[in-house]
Amino acid sequence: MTYSSFLVSEFLVLWRRKQDVFNALLFFIIVVALFPIGINSSPDFLAPAAAGIVWCAAVLAILMAVESMFKEDYRDGSLEQLVVSGLSLPLLILLKVVAQWLAVVLPLLVMMPLLSEMLYLPRSGFRVLIMTLLIGTPSLFFIGVIGAALTVSIKQGAMLVMLLILPFYLPVIIFSTLAIKAAQAGLPYSGLLAMLLAMSLMSLVISPFMTAIAVKASVN
Amino acid sequence: MQSSASLTISDLWIERGERDLCKGLSFSVQSGDVVRILGENGAGKSSLLKVIAGVLSPLEGQILYSGEDVTLDRNPLQQDAIYLGHSIGVKSLLTVAENLRWYCPDVSTSMLYSVLTQLGLIDQVDVPVKKLSAGQARRVALARLWLNKKTLWLLDEPFASLDVRGVALLEERIQQHVLLGGLVILTTHQDLLSIALRDVALLL
Amino acid sequence: MSWAWFHKLGSPKWFFSWSKSWPLPVFCFGCFCLVIGLAWGLAFAPADYQQGNSFRIIYIHVPVAMLAQSCYLALGVSGFVFLVWQMKMAPIFIKAMAPIGAIMALIALVSGAIWGKPTWGTWWVWDARLTSVLVLFFLYMGIIALQNSLEDQVLANKAAAVISVVGLINLPIIKYSVVLLETLHQGPTFTLTKKPEMPAEMWLPLLFSVIGLYCFVAGVVLWRMQSEILIREHRSSWVKQEVMEHGL
Repeated sequence: MTYSSFLVSEFLVLWRRKQDVFNALLFFIIVVALFPIGINSSPDFLAPAAAGIVWCAAVLAILMAVESMFKEDYRDGSLEQLVVSGLSLPLLILLKVVAQWLAVVLPLLVMMPLLSEMLYLPRSGFRVLIMTLLIGTPSLFFIGVIGAALTVSIKQGAMLVMLLILPFYLPVIIFSTLAIKAAQAGLPYSGLLAMLLAMSLMSLVISPFMTAIAVKASVN
Repeated sequence: MQSSASLTISDLWIERGERDLCKGLSFSVQSGDVVRILGENGAGKSSLLKVIAGVLSPLEGQILYSGEDVTLDRNPLQQDAIYLGHSIGVKSLLTVAENLRWYCPDVSTSMLYSVLTQLGLIDQVDVPVKKLSAGQARRVALARLWLNKKTLWLLDEPFASLDVRGVALLEERIQQHVLLGGLVILTTHQDLLSIALRDVALLL
Repeated sequence: MSWAWFHKLGSPKWFFSWSKSWPLPVFCFGCFCLVIGLAWGLAFAPADYQQGNSFRIIYIHVPVAMLAQSCYLALGVSGFVFLVWQMKMAPIFIKAMAPIGAIMALIALVSGAIWGKPTWGTWWVWDARLTSVLVLFFLYMGIIALQNSLEDQVLANKAAAVISVVGLINLPIIKYSVVLLETLHQGPTFTLTKKPEMPAEMWLPLLFSVIGLYCFVAGVVLWRMQSEILIREHRSSWVKQEVMEHGL
């Protein structure tokens, strides 16, 4: 096994399981649609709330996708093979997360113009929304993957991962929505984006090691 | 492949849940050995293999591989070993060829096809593994033994769900491997009839 | 400086015999201080000139909120100790401490709400401190839920340690982000960050109840750790001997 052959196999599996990614995106759209339907569909309410709605829906959809990341590998024993492969487990996990991120977030970004129209998000906010999604979502993946690895041996672990990981997502949601609101109000927002970037970088450094510990403890 | 590999285990102590396994186990084996780990169900056969492979950590004890202490960092051993556990590590969504390419990216296509022909999987090269039978999936995992050049093989019940022909093929391959200086440690209930080499039985 | 004591912490047997005489006096001392602090604070301290008698809840709220945060700090540190040195006592400590911390966070929330009603006019305000205690409560519940759902002891130990460490790293960020959220919101929030200078009759009982609660919790956690040690080590000979000699 080499790092590149591992990455190729990860992409192949993601391609064969494209229905799962598609489901995550549908879930995302449905959650977004709940807000205009359930609360208020007037632009007066939606325009200022759009950033928060998109981010909350994105967080849920991403956590659903991340939660099952190791399930199949755990069942068929390939997770065990990663541990004994003689390659660096944190690096393998990093590659896996990057592959997963590309598969989930890129389609999400493609749908954003449509959704921001539906939520009456002003132009000024849209650019910043895309930027926050690009630099904020990596930290969601890196934090979530720790929870996924910890609960991989539990049959019904989805709810537990939600309970465990969602509190950690709060800062990302707060920084992102504040940045978008600041942009809508014409205020400077680069400091908030820098915070998001810092969180993503920090989780990128810490999470693979924590996840590797969790994976090793889970496969035994 | 290393020409003379050796594995030395001293004063091992594995703890699994509430049970102590292999307490005080010590043994030493080297290239050319086929080591059969025998024992009742729950005696710790699989756990011993997992500890050697580095999936589990022992509570106490020392593991030397070719003279190098790998108790804390199993990496030098893992570089030179194949471990096949109960779950065989074959991805059901990938085809036979893709699965083997994942594990052995450097192998040539002709080599891959000749091994698959030998194992009777040549018609299934591009079939996803989820459509194969349990025995066929097992053969896919075992095909790694033909495609790799690793010295140490750690095989957990390798003969499970194989037919007579498959068993014969695998025994032949094991014999070939140890003749070339390999070291094989396996758990099985089967008597290895065709292997006439130094066959060490380790009773837990 | 000798590190022998630190390595001894790895042995449950050593810890058990060392800590056997500790919990009761610590617990009693804690109760004593707590009773003095609470009685003094609730009955005898002068009423606040702005808030009247409702301020007296700080004699419960402040110690409990301090404890809730200190407990999490302790969890994170012991999680780190476990991941780095594989110290056997660390997961036992986490298991003993997490529910106590959760209870402290819950009491802090409830007492904060009770205080909020006369002071702010509502039971709940999305104030930075209240929100971060709420998140803290969720973090505790996550650790407890994780430990309860993992059957394998080794995995449960590792999992609790990992999540505690991640939580400890994240807690300052969560706190900072919540404060940021509040300061940028133009909502009708009251902030009571600036305390008036307290006279000694007011803060002395507070000091007593804080010290008392710390000791109280230390005693309870020691007891919980001891029983956890007995459960985990029930197969070892020293536990059998212990039970034969002293009973349960």
